Amino acid sequence: MKSRKIGLHQFMAVPAFALYAVFFIYPLLKGIGLCFTDWDGIKAAHFVGLRNFIDFFHDQRALSDIRTTVLFTLGSAPLLNIVGLVYALLMNSEFRGKSIARMCIYMPAIISPLIMGYIWYFLLQPGRGFLYHFFDGLGHPEWFGNWMGNYKSALLVIVLVNVWQYAGMTMVIYLAGLQGISRDLYEAARIDGARWVDGFLHVTLPLLGPSIRINVITNIIGSLSVFDIVMSLTGGGPGYQTETLSIYIMRMCYGSKTGYSVAVAIILFLIVLIPVAASSWLMRKKEED
Amino acid sequence: MKRRKAAALFMALAMATGTLAGCGGAGNQPAAESKVSEPVEETAGAEETDDTQKESETGQADSGEKVNIKLFTGKIETIDVMNEIIESFNKSQDRITVEQEYQKDASNIIKIKFASDEVPDIMTTYEQGFVDEGKYMDISDQNEWWDRMSPDMKAACTDVKTGKTYRVCTNMTMAGFFYNKEIFNELGIEEFPGEWNEFVAMLEKIRTEKPDVVPWFIFGSEAWHLGHLIEFIPHGYVKSNLGTIEAKKAMLENDQEALKFADSDGPMAVFAGNMKELQDKGLINEDILTATNDNCVQDFVSGRTAMFSNGMWAISSVLEASPEMEDKIGFAPYPAYMQGSSPVVLSAEDSGYSISATTEHKEACIEFMNFLFLPENQQKYCEVAKAPSAFKDVTAKWAPEAVVSEVSAALDGAVNIGFTNEKPAGFSGDDAGRMLQGLFAGQYTPEQFAEAYTDAWNDGMGSAGDEEQ
Amino acid sequence: MTFRIMNEGKGMDIEMKKILCGLRYLIIIMISLLCLAPFGILLILALNTPRRNFYEGNMFVPDFYFQNFPDGWKQSQIGHAMLNSGLITAGAILLIVILGAMAGYAVARCKNKFNQTVYLIFLCCMMVPGIINTVPLYGLMIRLHAVNTLWGMTCVCATLAIPQAVFVFTGFIRALPMELEEAAVIDGCSQMQVFWKIILPLLKPSVSAVVILNGFGIWNNYAQAAFFLQDRAKHNVPQALSIYFQQFAGARWNIMAATAVIAIVPVVIVFLLFQKNLMRGLTDGALKG
Repeated sequence: MKSRKIGLHQFMAVPAFALYAVFFIYPLLKGIGLCFTDWDGIKAAHFVGLRNFIDFFHDQRALSDIRTTVLFTLGSAPLLNIVGLVYALLMNSEFRGKSIARMCIYMPAIISPLIMGYIWYFLLQPGRGFLYHFFDGLGHPEWFGNWMGNYKSALLVIVLVNVWQYAGMTMVIYLAGLQGISRDLYEAARIDGARWVDGFLHVTLPLLGPSIRINVITNIIGSLSVFDIVMSLTGGGPGYQTETLSIYIMRMCYGSKTGYSVAVAIILFLIVLIPVAASSWLMRKKEED
Repeated sequence: MKRRKAAALFMALAMATGTLAGCGGAGNQPAAESKVSEPVEETAGAEETDDTQKESETGQADSGEKVNIKLFTGKIETIDVMNEIIESFNKSQDRITVEQEYQKDASNIIKIKFASDEVPDIMTTYEQGFVDEGKYMDISDQNEWWDRMSPDMKAACTDVKTGKTYRVCTNMTMAGFFYNKEIFNELGIEEFPGEWNEFVAMLEKIRTEKPDVVPWFIFGSEAWHLGHLIEFIPHGYVKSNLGTIEAKKAMLENDQEALKFADSDGPMAVFAGNMKELQDKGLINEDILTATNDNCVQDFVSGRTAMFSNGMWAISSVLEASPEMEDKIGFAPYPAYMQGSSPVVLSAEDSGYSISATTEHKEACIEFMNFLFLPENQQKYCEVAKAPSAFKDVTAKWAPEAVVSEVSAALDGAVNIGFTNEKPAGFSGDDAGRMLQGLFAGQYTPEQFAEAYTDAWNDGMGSAGDEEQ
Repeated sequence: MTFRIMNEGKGMDIEMKKILCGLRYLIIIMISLLCLAPFGILLILALNTPRRNFYEGNMFVPDFYFQNFPDGWKQSQIGHAMLNSGLITAGAILLIVILGAMAGYAVARCKNKFNQTVYLIFLCCMMVPGIINTVPLYGLMIRLHAVNTLWGMTCVCATLAIPQAVFVFTGFIRALPMELEEAAVIDGCSQMQVFWKIILPLLKPSVSAVVILNGFGIWNNYAQAAFFLQDRAKHNVPQALSIYFQQFAGARWNIMAATAVIAIVPVVIVFLLFQKNLMRGLTDGALKG
């Protein structure tokens, strides 16, 4: 076996890496140096050393954006995983209309953010939207308050909408994982007299390892760099209250602080890296146990 | 096994720091790099295709070979009429082909284009920063255009710093309050008040006598609208008080002695206090933070709101929603709200075109613009854009008769202010609008708002100021 | 299958089984309805006459006016944009699946330094905010003459999705039992043959997951399209919709909604095809064989 290992297949990662190197890594390396400059997108850039990074920690708006982003992630990443897993367990059995039901759950994730933005506008507008009229029809218009006008409730709505929209994506990965688990294992567990809970804990969960890892990591990354959903629901408002770090980076990039925006992007990268590395390490440790 | 995991984690971190360290070296000369990259890209551009080489030759030699010019626009409302004009231009001769590119975030995208040296030949975006960098062609001596305009109009197009002209504006636009004349007549309001206290009293009258009608509708979910309120009311005061040119200079030099943004009795704090008062008294719509332009138009045409602030471009959506509004639209200046000031109305240049300083097809651009500026084409354009022409020889029916007379009455009765292009590059109108959102959401007191506004203004100036040294 | 264990577990009589079965259906129907609700709104809007004001009358009963669909189709030129989006999506998906699976195989099965480094780079770059790239990538695309070409956009879209695809494929390939490959190698297959003949067919569920996860994002791409598809003839679906929406915003909501519905239809069809053909997964055969 060992002697055969030298072969073309060792280099099968090369094409993917080559494509990536040209269209991502090369521009990245070219662009990243801007973090040490005061480039405003218009005039020639000047080297400013670490000033952008130092400025960041005195930037009240950026710090409050970090808080929003982290709070959002704390709500969204675990919920997405739990809801996605529940969906996948529900959908991973034979029943009539299975493909239609999967379709329904995945539907929200396939609509472009542009259209979603308009849908939310018609649904959630206080005093005007569908939900208001729905509650009005029930005789309780006051149940539908101005949810988007207040920081806490706006953030909650954003988290819930995000889960609603993207739980289908998490479900797809869990489904792919569940498909890989042989039915025989359950049979064996059943013959041994295991209850469903035991089967889930001792057969399903451990074998879902790869799916869990993929989902946890992609959800952490996705939630910490959330952009579209906040833009279409609140635009980061009122004021800058629900602005996330990605939106801030975009606004700085085009708002004459391009060099600074690159520095903030690197800080965001580090913010993402920490939980991803930690959870990756934890999960591998768990798998080895 | 454990060691492998630790190594992996370490590598991930090393990767991150590695890239940082890696660019530390490169970062020493980013300015140089960007300068170096220019000629590199130019050579790349020269090698580009045979087409471009031919084009550049024809640009100078006028040898009758094909030329392609790109027109970059962010004006959605005129896409179709421009395409029509471009098509007839392309058919009228067989040497020059014009292509229009529309972008939603035109002012953002143009920055990337400038940074990549892929600049469109003609563009409708215009920014002080690019003027300072010499990115636009000087068209001060295009007298066949300027002779057809009033001297004021040319002055409005001219850069205050250099005294040269880098863009030509074909239209005017106005902004003020649009109000429902029917509601005003019913309540017996004869004249639109010119003073803030009377204005508030009028809003209160509407509120008490017509409880179902929102006196003043502000669609604050759209930051640009709130930004415009700041631009028209407090900035409007500064401009009317100091005079257009002096105000432009004070803003360019960030002369806070003259601007007085941070003062607790300055234009910003008083304006913020006034807006807070209207909100507390319920004289503006409750859903100010979530309302949209569309809501505003719907409520206006259905008589649920008495007035709103906007520019002339609002007319087309109002009339589209309800053609019967034609005779009911009133137009009025912003009332004076500071001691000893006068009512103001925006009367500014609109639909500007600039030519890239680096274009290889200068004559072709001018030839196209000559065609675009022909009276019959401008007439078509004005009617679509709902804006009167800046050319003296163009008469266009840009709005219904009744509206036109309302507007000219308003212009005669108030100080006409222009649009400020001299704002700090790092503090856009949308940024200002989002701060006003914060005020309505209860984040600031009026004094805090004035301070925060001044800080953001200085900060936006500051970054640009540092670079000039 | 998980439910079968639950249903047949000890102490469950037939009554209980029926109740649970019905309960499950109820839950699935409720989730599906929740996910579909916003599309209901879109559909109601699309079926109203163009002049009807959204906020007036009974919001929940449309006029069943179907003329909006042909009108929207003609005015928005969405057909051509759908063709462009379709070509870009198909090309990018092909690249992502083939290059991604190859790289995943190399990373999972040949643990040499190069492959591990490539994998780590992919993982890290997944966390890098893409905005840093904007300016250098645009310059690169101009030099490659890739602006306003479908192939250029295809490469950019594929590049953006590759890290996640590699991540997903690596995870699932690692979870595959080695025995099959070893047997094949003993039978005289080369490692390359093993990949094409054994691994790729086994990857069906994860291929479908990758297609579903990335396909719609590429179809709906706006951020890159704005830069690389400037020519109106090259516009993709979100660009065409965006221009159309802005030109008529506030005046013709109903035709806009109809156009949005048209833009969703092909996406729904593709989803149904993929999930039906590919989601059958491993349980049917491969692993048991």
